[in-house]
Amino acid sequence: MIANDMSSSERLNAQVMNLLSGVSEHGDQHLAEVERDLVQMDVLLDEAIKKLCASFMAIHHAVDLQQKALNGLLADGMPAPEYAAHFEALRGEINQHVGAAVTGLQFQDMTSQLIGRMVQHLAGLRDVFGALDTNGSVLPESNNEALLATLSHISDRVGTCCTELAGGVRSTVNQRHMESGDIELF
Amino acid sequence: MSKTILAVDDSGSLRQMLSFSLKAAGYGVIEAVDGQDGLNKAKQHKVDLVLTDQNMPGMDGLSLIKALRAMKNYQSVPILMLTTESGDDMKAMGRAAGANGWLVKPFDPARLTEVVKKLIG
Repeated sequence: MIANDMSSSERLNAQVMNLLSGVSEHGDQHLAEVERDLVQMDVLLDEAIKKLCASFMAIHHAVDLQQKALNGLLADGMPAPEYAAHFEALRGEINQHVGAAVTGLQFQDMTSQLIGRMVQHLAGLRDVFGALDTNGSVLPESNNEALLATLSHISDRVGTCCTELAGGVRSTVNQRHMESGDIELF
Repeated sequence: MSKTILAVDDSGSLRQMLSFSLKAAGYGVIEAVDGQDGLNKAKQHKVDLVLTDQNMPGMDGLSLIKALRAMKNYQSVPILMLTTESGDDMKAMGRAAGANGWLVKPFDPARLTEVVKKLIG
């Protein structure tokens, strides 16, 4: 609360300081929540992909064994030509799906990189909100000089945060084609 | 004797898919979790080809390539970058550092093994 017996200049100073502290506190709270959710999302995606990878490996192993058993049976007897061709076609189809699964299972890596980048930006934004915090300080002077000095100091801190953020964030993932990426040999 | 490939990536699922694809094609695979681990393993083993990611904690892919190229026994070993980075600037940096090729993620196992086969047989 701003006292009524203050001068308008003192009230302005107090209002600005309150506003800065409020923005800092609430901004930080919301960003902290988003950051926690993103980290949890990354954990869940990681768990999902581990389980999918394990299942994929187990299925592939079983299919491989089945294929070997089938090859043994085919070697022992003389299968009708249409069956032999059918088995060969199935083998090709399985290999195609295995390749597609291997490509598909890599998208979590790219998603995880993007989440990491978002978390870095959120941390940077939290630093910016932290720089706005006046830590409950009250300006002693009734003129605007103290307020101007405080705002200038905050502005410098925000500038430093922005510079640090720009230098430390990893590059984005610009994947647009959802098939396998380009290959270039030098 | 099968050729050995050093696969460097900080993503466990990516290493697993690389290992699966390359082993299925008959290659031996050594996995490393980042650039520094890759460099250590390159010193410990005889490697015929290196496949590395770019963005990794600690030592990144470009730094790993430079460190390997500074070693006498890695001056002619093929090194491929496998990364989400697809910009021309990054590719130019990779080429200048000594990479032999640039593969953008995600990879297709058949195309990957085709490239590896072309380089080391």
